[in-house]
Amino acid sequence: MSFEIRKYAFGRMPRYVGSPDGGGVHLLAAVGGPRFRARRLPLMIFVLLYTILAGGPLVWVAMMSIRTTPEILDNPYALPSIIHWEKFASAWIDSNYGTYFWNSIMAVAGAVCLLTMIGAMAAHCLARYRFRGAGLVRFAILSGMVLPPQLLILSLFQILIGYGLYNSLTGLILVYVSSQLGMTLYILEGFFAQIPQDLFDAARMDGYGDMDIFLRITIPVGLPAIITTMMLNLVILWNEFLFAVVLLTDDDKRTLPLGTMHFIGGHQLDIGMVATGLMIAIVPVLLLYAFFSETMIRGMTAGALR
Amino acid sequence: MDPDENRAQPSIRDSYLGRSRSEAHQTAPGVIASLIGPAAFIYVAFTLYPVLRTVWNSLHTVRAGGLTDWVGIGNYSEVLTHDPFFWNAVGNTVIFTVVSTVLDVAGGLLLALCLFAKIPFARLLRVVWFTPVLISYVVVGIIWAWVFDYDWGPLNMVLRGFGLDALTRSWLGDPRWALWAVMAAHVWKWLGFNMIIFLAALYALPGEVLGAAELDYCGWFAKTIYVIVPMLRPTIANLLALSFIGKMMVFDLIWIMTRGGPLWSTETVSTYVYKRAFDWNSFSLGYPSAIAVVWCVIILAFVVAMNLLLRRSKPLEF
Repeated sequence: MSFEIRKYAFGRMPRYVGSPDGGGVHLLAAVGGPRFRARRLPLMIFVLLYTILAGGPLVWVAMMSIRTTPEILDNPYALPSIIHWEKFASAWIDSNYGTYFWNSIMAVAGAVCLLTMIGAMAAHCLARYRFRGAGLVRFAILSGMVLPPQLLILSLFQILIGYGLYNSLTGLILVYVSSQLGMTLYILEGFFAQIPQDLFDAARMDGYGDMDIFLRITIPVGLPAIITTMMLNLVILWNEFLFAVVLLTDDDKRTLPLGTMHFIGGHQLDIGMVATGLMIAIVPVLLLYAFFSETMIRGMTAGALR
Repeated sequence: MDPDENRAQPSIRDSYLGRSRSEAHQTAPGVIASLIGPAAFIYVAFTLYPVLRTVWNSLHTVRAGGLTDWVGIGNYSEVLTHDPFFWNAVGNTVIFTVVSTVLDVAGGLLLALCLFAKIPFARLLRVVWFTPVLISYVVVGIIWAWVFDYDWGPLNMVLRGFGLDALTRSWLGDPRWALWAVMAAHVWKWLGFNMIIFLAALYALPGEVLGAAELDYCGWFAKTIYVIVPMLRPTIANLLALSFIGKMMVFDLIWIMTRGGPLWSTETVSTYVYKRAFDWNSFSLGYPSAIAVVWCVIILAFVVAMNLLLRRSKPLEF
């Protein structure tokens, strides 16, 4: 499609249109020609300003994370003169960030694995089998997407105490699974339903059982969609705050967002260390994003793009 | 293409053999139960039951130790008629939702148009502009609390740099500005999301129409307003709905940046529910449950209305 547009913008333009420089009246020619044009200056200034606005705060925090608080208070915007890597070790050990980090890893990994299995099974079932009540099951699980979390959190607090799962990572993982189940099912079922039925018929002719079909056809063919949902759930749950803040109380069970809030509560003025903590929370996501940016963009927008 | 085209339907071969799809599969109920069972269990135990329990709580006073007293619609009538804090929270939430939704969608469109105009490094910029979407509310909240800091925050530094000292203030400490400051942080986080969706929609537009506009001496501004935006109407409507619903539930960022203060100026329905349930000494889950139910009904009504509206407007689209 972009080739089409480019063709119209630069290729097919009649010779007699506009002035020799291309006229400057065409959107793509005016603001997007391969050569620099004065008309593009305001656009480029805007683009530059927005890039600073979007990326600047993160770069600023990254710089503060390797500077000490006295240095920051002296000049909050200076480049780091001496790189204080030891601040990361100090946050990791002295301020319990190591524990928070592993708790986050456990909670997210557990929830994403469970979600992927349970969601893929349910999506396969709804996409491939016709059975009484299928519509009701689909509607019920998908409606979970629009429920405000506050409606759940008030009684989940009570209910998890009843289940004996309050203040435990297991309880949090199960709540995470239920909170993301609707979106996972929505994306996976949409994709699984587009796998040609002939593939399944052929497999059945070859004597595949129901589980073989799920494990050896739906899973491999649906892998792109599965990876998409994994990325989405990974980012959303790594950042999740509300369920964790209500359902966890012990310091050694806190996940990273909670640990960060707890730390800033006690060290409001120690800006340097708070910045180090923030970096510990965002570096894993940013590293993943650096290597798999397209997959992650697709994952995060999958629910809205269908 | 109809996405349901490939769903399990009786195939030609099956009808030739004179059997329906279910006979062809000879699906045991056990297979379906084992596939859908775990999801159904999680849904019932951690979504359906909590919702019902919240509704039940909302009709009671729930005191410490699990004792409950039936109060009927008492909690609801108190929320709707006797609670100025609730209505203040509704007002703030509506302002927050409407303004930040419009800013988010309009800003996302603007950014997408910039990238669509084939600027250099467009691919890289797309990745950079999307980064805030991946950052957690805790991190965004703390960073933006620093940005708005009175003494050394970048915003006040820039203002002082331009000699606008009169405009500097403690942005999060001023009841007139706190809501707008939190809104700015929220819009900053989500702009990239809308941009990606608009960009995908822009690249899916028919090139012939854009080309025809150019041949008709259509300027870039006129082309954007009269050709591109009307063709994007379904995307705009969808994103408005999506963003609106998400922002009506806003909690994390406000809780992290201001906790609803100063002077309840950033209190939203969600933070008020949380405060009534877990922060105030009068520990009763009944009253906040009633607020949550009222708000959920409003959101669901909105979702249904949006769906009807979007569905009706579809035949009119380009």
